[in-house]
Order: sequence, then C-alpha cells, then structure tokens
Amino acid sequence: MSYYGTNDYSYNSDFALRVRDMKKGNLDLGWLDQARERFEVRPRDPRRGLEVSDCEVGPYAIDAMPEVIRDNRGITPRGAILPVSYQPDLGPTLNRKTDVWAYRVQRYWEEAVSRQWNVSTDVPWQDLAKYDIPLELEIAFCQLCTLLSEVEMIATDLPAKWSHHMNSYFQEVKGFISSQCLDEARHSEVFRKRALANGVGLLKASVRSEHALKGILEADSYSEGSVFLHVLGEGFILTLFRSSEFISPTPVEQRMFQLVMQDEARHVSYGLQHLKYLMDNAPEHRAQINLFLDEAEKLLTGLFNSEQLEAMIVLGGKGTKPENIRRGVEAVGAFQGKQILEYFQRCERAGLPERRDRSPLLELQHQMIAALQAAQA
Amino acid sequence: MALKFPSVDFFRELARRMNADRATFEKLGFCDAVMGVRVLGKAPHLYALTFEVYDCTEVRELGDASEAELDFTLQAPAELWREMLESIRQHGQPAPQYTLNSLSHIGDRMQVVYEDPEGHDKLYRFMATIQAYFDNARDLEIEWA
Repeated sequence: MSYYGTNDYSYNSDFALRVRDMKKGNLDLGWLDQARERFEVRPRDPRRGLEVSDCEVGPYAIDAMPEVIRDNRGITPRGAILPVSYQPDLGPTLNRKTDVWAYRVQRYWEEAVSRQWNVSTDVPWQDLAKYDIPLELEIAFCQLCTLLSEVEMIATDLPAKWSHHMNSYFQEVKGFISSQCLDEARHSEVFRKRALANGVGLLKASVRSEHALKGILEADSYSEGSVFLHVLGEGFILTLFRSSEFISPTPVEQRMFQLVMQDEARHVSYGLQHLKYLMDNAPEHRAQINLFLDEAEKLLTGLFNSEQLEAMIVLGGKGTKPENIRRGVEAVGAFQGKQILEYFQRCERAGLPERRDRSPLLELQHQMIAALQAAQA
Repeated sequence: MALKFPSVDFFRELARRMNADRATFEKLGFCDAVMGVRVLGKAPHLYALTFEVYDCTEVRELGDASEAELDFTLQAPAELWREMLESIRQHGQPAPQYTLNSLSHIGDRMQVVYEDPEGHDKLYRFMATIQAYFDNARDLEIEWA
C-alpha cells in the first residue's frame, strides 16, 4: 500500500479512552447539536417510490452546489457536514459540473435500476432446442457474439475507470455510470453464453476492433471518453443490436437483443445529454471535442472487421449462396447508413451540427460498401 | 366481443390488460414515453399512447396538429398492422419478422417518425415494454375496419 496516513489510528490512545468511557455510558452527544434544518422529503409519485429527484432539496440539491467544487476533496456525500480541515485528499479531477453532468441524469439512473434484467433467467435459453439453425448461420452468429462480448468489456471498463475521478458530490452521475458497468457486464455475459449455448463457442477475437476500443479507454478527458463511448460507439452498437434482432436466427436471440438494446439506448441518451450540457454550459470545449471526434470517427471504423462484416452478411442473407450474400450485402449497407444518419442527428441535437460536414464517416462508408460490392461482383 | 381495429377502444383494451398485468410490467421496469401509432389507409388514424411508470395511462386519437407532443410515432399501412396483430394472435407473440423492431428497422414497411433523436431513442429504451403492450392482443377478437 502506498498510502502513508498522518495518524496510526490503532494506537490512538485518546480514542481508546473515549471508547472505554462510552462503554460506561458516558456519551458526549455534542453531535446531536449539529442537527440541521429539516426538509420534507416524500415520493412525488408513489408508483415510483422515493426517487433521487425527490431528494433534491435545500443543501442536498445539485443546484445548491457551485459550478466548481473546491472544498470537498474526499468522499463526503453532497449535503453532509464537511470536516474540511482533516479530510484526506482523494484527488478528484472532475470537479466542474460540466465535466460530468447530463440533463435528466437522475431519471436515467432510476430507469436503469428499474429495468435491470437477468441473463440466466430472462432469456428463454430452453427454447433454443426447439430450433434447427443451419451450422453456417450458427457459426456466423457466434462470430458476431464474439465481437459483441469483446466490445462490451470496454464499455464496462470506461465508466469504471472514470468514476473515482469524479467528485463525490456528483453522486447521480456516479450512480448512473455504475449501473452502466453492470449493464455492460451483463451484455458481455449474454453474448458469451449465447456463443456457448449451442456448442460452437467463441470464435475469432479482433485485434483491429481492440485497437479501436483502446482509443475509447484512453481518451484524455471524461467528456471525450463519454462522447466516444456513449454517443458514437454505443450509438453505432445500438443500431447493430437492432440489426442483429432483425437478422436473429430464432426468437431466443430476438429477446436477447430486445433486452440489450434497451440498456444501450439509455446509455446513448445519457451521452447525448452530457454532450448537450457541455455544449450549452462550456461551449469553449467545442473545438476540442470536434478535433477529438475527427480522430475517434476514423478509429471507430476499426470496429468493422472483416469477420464481423461477413458474419452479418451471412446472417442478413440467411446463407452463403450468391443470392443470400447479395441480400446480406444490401441489409448490411442499409444498417450502416442508418448508423451514420442517426449519429449525425444525435450530434445535431447535442449542439454539434457541424459533424455532418466535417466527419470522415460518410467517405469511409462509401469506400467500405464499394469494396464489399467489388468483392461480390 | 370483437374490438374494431383501428379504434381508441382497441388500444384502450390493450392498456387495460397492461395495467392489470402488474407482475409482467413491473419486471420490465419504468416506461415513460408518449408514443404515436399511425394507421395509414383510406381513413388514416393517429393515436397517442401515454406510458407512465408501469401503466398505459391514456389513449387518445389525435389530429395531426397535436403530433409535436409525441416522442415518436410508428407509422404503417393498416394491412401491415393487421399482419403483425394476426401473427401475435397466431403465435402468442410475433413471428420473428413481425416484431416492432424488425418491422421498423430496415425498409419502409413500418416507419419510425420523430422530431427529437432522444424521443426516437425512447422506442429502444422501452422496446420490451412496448412489444409486451402489443402482445396483449394475443387472444383479442378483432374486427378489421
């Protein structure tokens, strides 16, 4: 352990004497005098229970905080009495509200908690035995699951990496991204289980994709990491999930994708609202975010590796015969176009309409489709 | 008694069934969205379905002028809605090609109309709940308009 404390509490004789006194019933009770103004906190909507937003009162409300938190350097909960002079410095680097906040983050957190599901019991695994899936489709599906399980690992790690850098006063954001870690871990689990469920198992991992994913993990700021992961990456993956539901071999996989797409869409909404909050309140970051996205959008194309694209084509066309492949190429081209269109719409909503003009994605998409079509000709 | 499709009564019956099946919809979680259902045909109809918490709290027929209040609208010809509902009635759930996602994802069979991308994303945030709402038609007797 590299932490050297200023006190060795195990040898604190004053405290040991106090404990001995307390055990004799001699309490100080001075802390009772610190009782504070009382607030009425109750569920606004009894159907929802006591929500985070119901607790936004007086000094406990995020709006009661200054834009930059300077006093709390430890893990004091927002609104608690802060013993500044003796507080250890845990080194939070995200102390400005615009660093992390998102419109409606309280609602996303409550929604996340409410819409959790269980991979083991909420996917009808027992029904898989009812369907006879052609082997080439099963292998293609397992190749897709391999990539998705890989992708979801980074989506678990990025929020985990940044959480302890956030000032503890931003509890709603820390709570939401913790729920995201659980969501993403569940996604990695469901794709792993599906790959194994029919005996084919996990197939080829992608070095190319892992380089793209490393770019997400190594973003220089939380906002950069968030716009890359939540808006760009998960936006693309959300459309990929929709496509995967569309081309799923059986209703079992359809159920799986219905459930994962719900989580993914919630993360996308948080990312969009964080980007919007940042653009509305700290527009000086616009140039930096645009330069970052110029690189990130190129890097993202690493996600499209040849095994994954071919697997999607085989699944989309339901086979490997030329007519199947032709249909598959059309289906994959259509969903890639949708990924890009929806990404630009989200950027525009968040206040970055210029992405549509400066993004390298359209050109890269044209190149990819042309290459696929040439290969099939 | 058969319920006419499309009609306010039809969607209200699905809402009644949703609100009565607390266990299923609590398991799926909070759902807060105002969804439009547009049925195209000789006499087009637009309905607004309001989902709050675990319930469908309101079903109304809208004029076009009111569409701005909707998070998103699923729009399809009456024949396609019929195919989807028949599939649900036949199998207890839609056949793979008739899930809401499959119908609305690629091609122009069912369109997702929206102004705000966040409203659009609500379709996906609450997909399982909305699908379960429509799956309540599994044993409904329907009179096709």
